[in-house]
Amino acid sequence: MRLLTHNMLKCHVKNCTDPDKQYPLRFKDVQIEQIEYEPNEEFLVRMLPRLDWTALVKTAKDLNIAIPDSVPEDPASDQEFLQKLHTIIMETHVTEGSMVCDGCSHEYKITKGIANMLLAEHEI
Amino acid sequence: MTCSFKFTVDGFGRSLSQEEKISVIESFSFMAFEGPIKMKNPDAEFFVCEEYGEPDNPLPKETPKMIWFGRLLGQGSRDLIDKFDVKKRKYLGNTTMDAELSLVMANQALARNGALVYDPFVGTGSFLLTCSHFGAYSMGSDIDGRQIRGTAGFRRGVDGISANLAQYGLADRVLDTVVFDICRNPWRDGPMFDAIVTDPPYGVRAGAKRLGRKNGTLPELSLKVVDGVENHRRSDYLPPTVPYEMSDVIGDLLGFAAEKLVVGGRLVYWLPTVAGEYDPKDLPVHPVLRVVANSEQPFGGWSRRLVTMEKIAPLQGDASAELPEHAPAHRNFRDRYFSKFEAITPETE
Repeated sequence: MRLLTHNMLKCHVKNCTDPDKQYPLRFKDVQIEQIEYEPNEEFLVRMLPRLDWTALVKTAKDLNIAIPDSVPEDPASDQEFLQKLHTIIMETHVTEGSMVCDGCSHEYKITKGIANMLLAEHEI
Repeated sequence: MTCSFKFTVDGFGRSLSQEEKISVIESFSFMAFEGPIKMKNPDAEFFVCEEYGEPDNPLPKETPKMIWFGRLLGQGSRDLIDKFDVKKRKYLGNTTMDAELSLVMANQALARNGALVYDPFVGTGSFLLTCSHFGAYSMGSDIDGRQIRGTAGFRRGVDGISANLAQYGLADRVLDTVVFDICRNPWRDGPMFDAIVTDPPYGVRAGAKRLGRKNGTLPELSLKVVDGVENHRRSDYLPPTVPYEMSDVIGDLLGFAAEKLVVGGRLVYWLPTVAGEYDPKDLPVHPVLRVVANSEQPFGGWSRRLVTMEKIAPLQGDASAELPEHAPAHRNFRDRYFSKFEAITPETE
């Protein structure tokens, strides 16, 4: 699972509604794999406004991945920034481990890069 | 004119010898093409077709019925139907959509470079392949993780959707597939997708399911402790599901699309319906979604309609999908299908 996808997911357990705790989900015991791809600047620029930058910085720091603290004023013309963004959100894969909610402690397991976000019946 | 060029000459109804073809090409010498002749990737490509009528009784060589001349401006993509032919695909399931329709859906969704496309009923991932072929980035989810992983269906042992990504070289653009129920989805708030492309389950070949428990069965089994671990924390725990009725699926899908699409983004989905009873008013509508296209694929007693909608305004307040007030022809589609679409009479209703 890429960090782009992680940035879009929150805990959705019933009654777990504290926005500061249900998102971002905290990675636990993860295995990480870097796979190189050709960057697509148009896509990266298009995704920037849809990203939660604060959450991305928090997650990257948790995983000891270097990340700029803020988005430059004109990201579309900042190749160095876009390359870094590409490395973080597109090339970094979490292959095993889990994502934990700080609000309700639900653990979402990741197996072979596929996250299981199903809820138990008492959580819906 | 100094660009490189190529001529193709063909006879329809009569085959032309190489000498005859060359003489046709030479007849264009007055045009003074100065550029080099290039058989592969020329700058300009011209085509001459001489039509001679029926092959078993062609007109004489000197008097073709018609001569067609054209310059190649672009090519159709019909070869993609062969490329994405499901028979050639490493991994597929019993509800995998055929290649041509998957490609048509990608076009309807305006799948293009840099766009983000999502399929909430991803199954074996056909639409991720075709949308990403056209340059879009794609994601999918499904309540049934076995389909994604390749641990169910008739090509078990193949590495699920990822096997197809390797086959088509699309691992860079098909981003992720995640297991969850779209009725209880973990996407955070706000618009994120440029298109939602999906074939919702209508419960005929694959049972449509959502998380939940039927009334009257034992509740809260997820909290039961087995071997010292709460049941729902065990790795093989599968939450209970209940059937998901077609008209509910479509209503939920519209509500989801209205929130999660960016303005200008498109929802492309299949609506199965009983052929004789379908009324355009059956289509659920939403204040921020406009119908772009609604095309029928008939199958006799039933048909399915490919519906394309565009989000025309940001979602404000509590605007929600408006389901038809009457009973639409797709309601209880599964039961209607298995009862061979017998007309509903007051006695049987």
